[in-house]
Amino acid sequence: MTNVLFLAFSALAIWSGWRVFRVDSMVRASFQLMVSFIAVGLIAVLLAAPYIGIATIFMMAVEMMVMALFMVMFMMNPAGLNPMMMVHQHRFSIAAGIVAFGGLVLAVLLSDLPSQPVPEGADVVRALGHELLGPSMLIFETAGVTLLATMIGAVVLSARSGRYGDSDAGSVPPGLTPGGEPAGRKPENGGGHHHHHHGGH
Amino acid sequence: MIAATLALLLALPLLVWTAAIFDRIGTGRGATVLGPLRSGAALLLRPNTPTEAPDRLNRLLAPGWYLALALVGLSVVPLAPGIVASDLSTGLVLWGACEALTVVVVFLHGWSPNAPLPLIGAYRYVAIGLPAMLLSMFVLIGAALPAQSLSVLAVVEAQRDLWNVVRQPLGLPLFMALGLAITLRGPFDYADGAELAGGTSAEESGPALAMWQFARAAMLVAFSGMAATAFLGGHLGPVLPGPLWLLLKTLAVMAATVAAGRFFARMPPARMLTLLWVVLLPLSFANLALVGVTVLP
Amino acid sequence: MSLLSALARGAEIPIFAATGTRGLALVERLARRPGLRLVASPRHARVLLVAGAVDAAHQRALERLHAQVPPPRGTVWWQAPPLFARGETVAGDDPLPAIRRAAMANDPDQRPDVPPHPWQGMGPHGQGGTGMMGGNPHGRPMAMTAEDIRDGLALDAYTARFGPFLPMLPPGLVMDLTLQGDVIVSAHVASPPFDQGPEGDRPAPCAARMLRLMGIGPRAARARGALLALSKGSGTRRRLSAWLRGEEVTETPEPLPDALPGLEWAEAVLWLASFPPSRLRAACMQGQAA
Repeated sequence: MTNVLFLAFSALAIWSGWRVFRVDSMVRASFQLMVSFIAVGLIAVLLAAPYIGIATIFMMAVEMMVMALFMVMFMMNPAGLNPMMMVHQHRFSIAAGIVAFGGLVLAVLLSDLPSQPVPEGADVVRALGHELLGPSMLIFETAGVTLLATMIGAVVLSARSGRYGDSDAGSVPPGLTPGGEPAGRKPENGGGHHHHHHGGH
Repeated sequence: MIAATLALLLALPLLVWTAAIFDRIGTGRGATVLGPLRSGAALLLRPNTPTEAPDRLNRLLAPGWYLALALVGLSVVPLAPGIVASDLSTGLVLWGACEALTVVVVFLHGWSPNAPLPLIGAYRYVAIGLPAMLLSMFVLIGAALPAQSLSVLAVVEAQRDLWNVVRQPLGLPLFMALGLAITLRGPFDYADGAELAGGTSAEESGPALAMWQFARAAMLVAFSGMAATAFLGGHLGPVLPGPLWLLLKTLAVMAATVAAGRFFARMPPARMLTLLWVVLLPLSFANLALVGVTVLP
Repeated sequence: MSLLSALARGAEIPIFAATGTRGLALVERLARRPGLRLVASPRHARVLLVAGAVDAAHQRALERLHAQVPPPRGTVWWQAPPLFARGETVAGDDPLPAIRRAAMANDPDQRPDVPPHPWQGMGPHGQGGTGMMGGNPHGRPMAMTAEDIRDGLALDAYTARFGPFLPMLPPGLVMDLTLQGDVIVSAHVASPPFDQGPEGDRPAPCAARMLRLMGIGPRAARARGALLALSKGSGTRRRLSAWLRGEEVTETPEPLPDALPGLEWAEAVLWLASFPPSRLRAACMQGQAA
């Protein structure tokens, strides 16, 4: 039964991963990726890691939702329902994908994978908790602080109140002499206006 | 497990009907008891509306997925000691995953008709639904701390001497804010609001609309069951049998949620975002810190 | 099937009200009648109720609205001369019998059932011209990103004509709006709202309409929370509190193309609803004359 479920989830993960590159809309691509991650999360549940599996599903749902929203905001294709070509450099990517897949398959088949079935009734969540707060504490705390710094940085960069005034009014620092030129580096001309033209697609 | 699943599936339509009755009380529309059945039957007889170039699969399936998420969320609620439809050691995390996927499903419901007002409803809902979900996760962690486990069965057992609503008084109100959000009600109804002419449901009619409303009510039932279990002690109680206590507490939370939905006005989204991030989330952190401190020794 | 039909026979009738001249007061009377329910979208309705006269310039819009009510549909013209030959006319004060008859009726389509824009696809992915950026996919211009008016990002812009019978806007108001997400980037009034007469400016129904947009009923205790829910600065709070005290509001809005850009959809809708209909109409007509 477990084998059947494993094969089904793996097939779903691979198929939806392939569909990410074949659908014609950014929103569909984001959600196909989410389906792929959900399948992988369910495989983790089969591997007796229920917290990791379900937390993966939870986080990927949120992340793909935010990604889909950003796609709709910034693509020149509101709602993502206008058919469009989603991929660049197809031949190179297909070749790279096949090589990577082949390499990974060889690695999996030729390496000596461990076989340690988790005993029935083992308290895996408790063991995970002890691991997080014991041997792996440094890694997770560092990652947590890094994520916090990233969040604060993102909010500071995108907030309207800049350091010397409103950021959409330029937020230039005061001059070195009273009434003089603003101090600091001046941005290049037209620094804020980038039009990304996906021409030729 | 099978018995619990069957019991839930049999009880769900009746509880959905009760939720619809609660929705009608106080609106002055009359026909409180049979009204929902009649309106539902009338809706089922109307045709589905096609739109131009929709995403067919998601348009067809979104109400079904919403209902499925409500059922999965309801399945972690224990009906009696040891009787639960899905016996997971991480039931609370599964409930969180259901909330996250609900936001995705409501977005898909608004995105798939390829129309402006539903899409605006979908956008706004995501912006509000994601932080509301964070709120619920912190209060549920506060419910898991005294139980020293993520399993909902253990959370109920830990409330034998003291209910969680007393241990963390802010927990239930904050959780109800999330309940209003995932059931698209009242002050958090940014998806289907009146200022968007029905929002994500604006281009829907007939059986699809009936299914969406049914799923909304089913999600209200699931949320009320979860709130009753995590904060009000679930099936624990003196004289009556466990499932009956659970039912009474679920109905109480349902009535309170519907009333809260009618009591508070819906703010413009920017203001609600400020409220969530500046007021409610710090409150939930403080709530969690308080629980942690009291549970520590 | 017969059980469903038996249940459905006693159901309340969902009505979409297209409000015309002096129609707001008429529709308010129907808000609490048992046996019918005013719905927000024509797709949810069984009967299209045209309350108050609609001038011939909006005939096309009214026909489109009729087409949007899913068949079988019925039409009732209440104190309104019929613009097309569907449904029955009610000149008196009680449209309920006519509505009940319309709920059994089955109007044929008024507009032909064809797509609004001809297919103009040429490129391999359905777009109107060669490559990504060319032509008019499905007959509409390809959306391009435009600068956000509040900060320097470049977001998708969507331009469309909103009105005249949208339930959240003043009836008759037709605007060409450019939206980025739900922020209004530019607004242009194509047609001013209908004249609602002096009974349209009465405080109680105006407050009720605004509170309905915020999702609550017009009871005083809840309305206190409604004032806190509105954002400060645009005067919306001041006008709603005046209406809740029972006083008339006499402010005239500044021209819509200047006031609306930068507001989000919900804020813009509440701002428009916070002015008495006669003042809003005066401001729009002044803007058009200028």
